[in-house]
Order: sequence, then structure tokens, then C-alpha cells
Amino acid sequence: MEAKKQNKITLTIILGMACLVLVTVMFMQFKIVNQTDINELEVMREDELRTELASWKAKYTEADAQYQERQQKLEEYNQNEESQEQTEQLVQNELKQVDLILGKTDVEGEGIVIKLQEVSTAEAGITADNLNMIVNTLKEAGAEAISINEERIINMTDIVSVNEGTITRVNQQRILKPYTIKAIGNQNYLEGAILANGGEVDNLEKLGHQISVEKYNKVEIPKYNKEISSKYIK
Amino acid sequence: MVMISILIGCLLGAIIGINVPTISYTYSSYLAIAVIAALDSVFGGIASVINKKFDIKIFISGFFGNAILAILLTILGQKLNVDIYLAAIVVFVWRMFTNLGIIRRYYVEKWTENFKKSKQQEKIKEEKT
Repeated sequence: MEAKKQNKITLTIILGMACLVLVTVMFMQFKIVNQTDINELEVMREDELRTELASWKAKYTEADAQYQERQQKLEEYNQNEESQEQTEQLVQNELKQVDLILGKTDVEGEGIVIKLQEVSTAEAGITADNLNMIVNTLKEAGAEAISINEERIINMTDIVSVNEGTITRVNQQRILKPYTIKAIGNQNYLEGAILANGGEVDNLEKLGHQISVEKYNKVEIPKYNKEISSKYIK
Repeated sequence: MVMISILIGCLLGAIIGINVPTISYTYSSYLAIAVIAALDSVFGGIASVINKKFDIKIFISGFFGNAILAILLTILGQKLNVDIYLAAIVVFVWRMFTNLGIIRRYYVEKWTENFKKSKQQEKIKEEKT
């Protein structure tokens, strides 16, 4: 009787424990399944993962293709821009060159400075013709830029005498004595041309005017300070 | 008394199971297979009680042994890249249904017998009167 009772007690305890374990594990499992998000990557089944991966791959390929296209376009634009920049640079250089030739910029370089001091006791005054001749001579000797009393000589410069030779005009601007002619070019050529026997300077000296010719390593010639406009050129 | 202990075990198990911290999803497949194995043992136990062949040692060893074996088989299957747990589930569920069938048959027969007995008794009573 005692043994039977003890047997029953052990049976009860063991069955209770088994139930406890079973239900505990079951509820744990319920909880896990409840709390887990099926769409989470770690949880997905293999075939689901495969599908997902394939779709991502397709997306990636597409995105990559787009990216490549964009990249190419960007490169094209960059090249265009570069070429435009080059063109711009070229145009800029040309403009500079043209400005230089036209006399629209201040320039400096080696050259000579001629000072003509009119002496009232001389046989004849210094006229526009004399200046013209000197300028011509300088041009012939290879002068690249010339100015008379800071008036730049450009291609359309006029050097004239008005009012019966009492007023000299350069660039339609009255200039006053003494005259200072600056020229940029090879110093020796310029000087040689100017001082040549029978040349204009020689003639003026013979008339009795004071003339000095000096060589400088740096002669500054200002730009032409009026507008160069063309009304009739078409 | 047995019923009370089973009820207490279930209640305590539910409370503990709800309050235990969640374990990683990776291990939940092992737990699931263990649960199936244990359930199989329980139904097997009930069926053996009905057949009057119940032995507590066999029940307990089957209850824990099957669960642990199922877990080990699942792990092995994952290592071998073979879904052994599917086979285990098939076997366990198959046995569960067999045992359920035994239990069902037992109770249905019992019930019909009771029904017949009560009818016979009524007849006897009527004859007596």
C-alpha cells in the first residue's frame, strides 16, 4: 500500500514536470514566432532570400547602368566645358593680341625717347610734317609702339598742323611744345634710323633746334584713350 | 491528483514561458521540433494508458529522449544541408495521428458500450415492470 502511494506521488511529480517543460517550451516558441518579423533578412527562408537577392541584383544592375550613363554624360559635359574654356582662352588671347596691336593697352619695353626742343631763333619751327617724318622713320626702323607727348600713335592717328602751323594736333588733340617722341623697338635700329645723316633729326638740328635722343631699357607708352569706332565700315 | 499536477505544471509552464527572455530565431526551429517530439510522447503515453501498457520510465525517456534526439537530428541535418527535421516532423505527426486514432476509437467504443448498456438496462426495467 505504502509503495503504491509512493509510486503515485512520483508519477504525479514526473508528469507535472513533463507538462511544465513541454508548456514552457511551447510558450517560448509562441513568443518567438510572435515577435519575429517574417520580412527580416535573418529570418527569411532560403528560397525567399534567393528571390530577394535576385531582385536586388536586378535593381543593382539597373542602377549601375544608370550610373554609368550619368557618368558618361558628366564626362561629356566636362569635356565640352573644357573645350569651351580652351576656346575662351584662345579668344581671350586673340583679344589681347588685337588690343596690343590696336594700341588699346599700356605697353612698355626697350626703346628710345626723342626730345625736340624748339628754339625760337631757328630758321623754321618744328611742324607736323617734321613729326610725321620722324614717326615714319621710326616705323620704318621697326618701332612697335610710338607716342608723341603721351598721345599714342595708332593706325588712324593724324598728325597735322592747323591755324597756319601754330597749333599741332595729334589724334585731334592739341599738343604743346616741347615734343617728346617715345618709341618701343630695337634701340640700335631706332637710334640709327633717327640719327642718320640727312634724316629728319639731322635736318632739325641743322635748323638750330635742340634735340636729344636717349636709349632706355624701359619705355612706357600709354594706351590710345579714345573710342575706336567705325561708322561706315560694313 | 494526477490531473491537478498536470494542470499546475501547464499553468506554471505558461507563466515561465511567457516571462522567459526571447532566444534567437536561429534556435527556434530546434525548439519547435522538440515540442513536436514531446507532444508525440504525450499522445503515445495516453494511448499506452488506454492499452494498459503505460510505463512511467518509458514515457519519461521517450519524452526527453525523443526531444533531444530530434534536436540533434535537426542540427545534423543543417550541417549536412539535408532537411532532416522534415522527416522527423512527418514521423512524429504520423505517430501522433495514430495515437489519436487509438484514443478516439477507445472513447467512441466506450461511449457506444455505455449507450447500449443503458438501453439494455432500460429494457430490463421495462420488462420487470
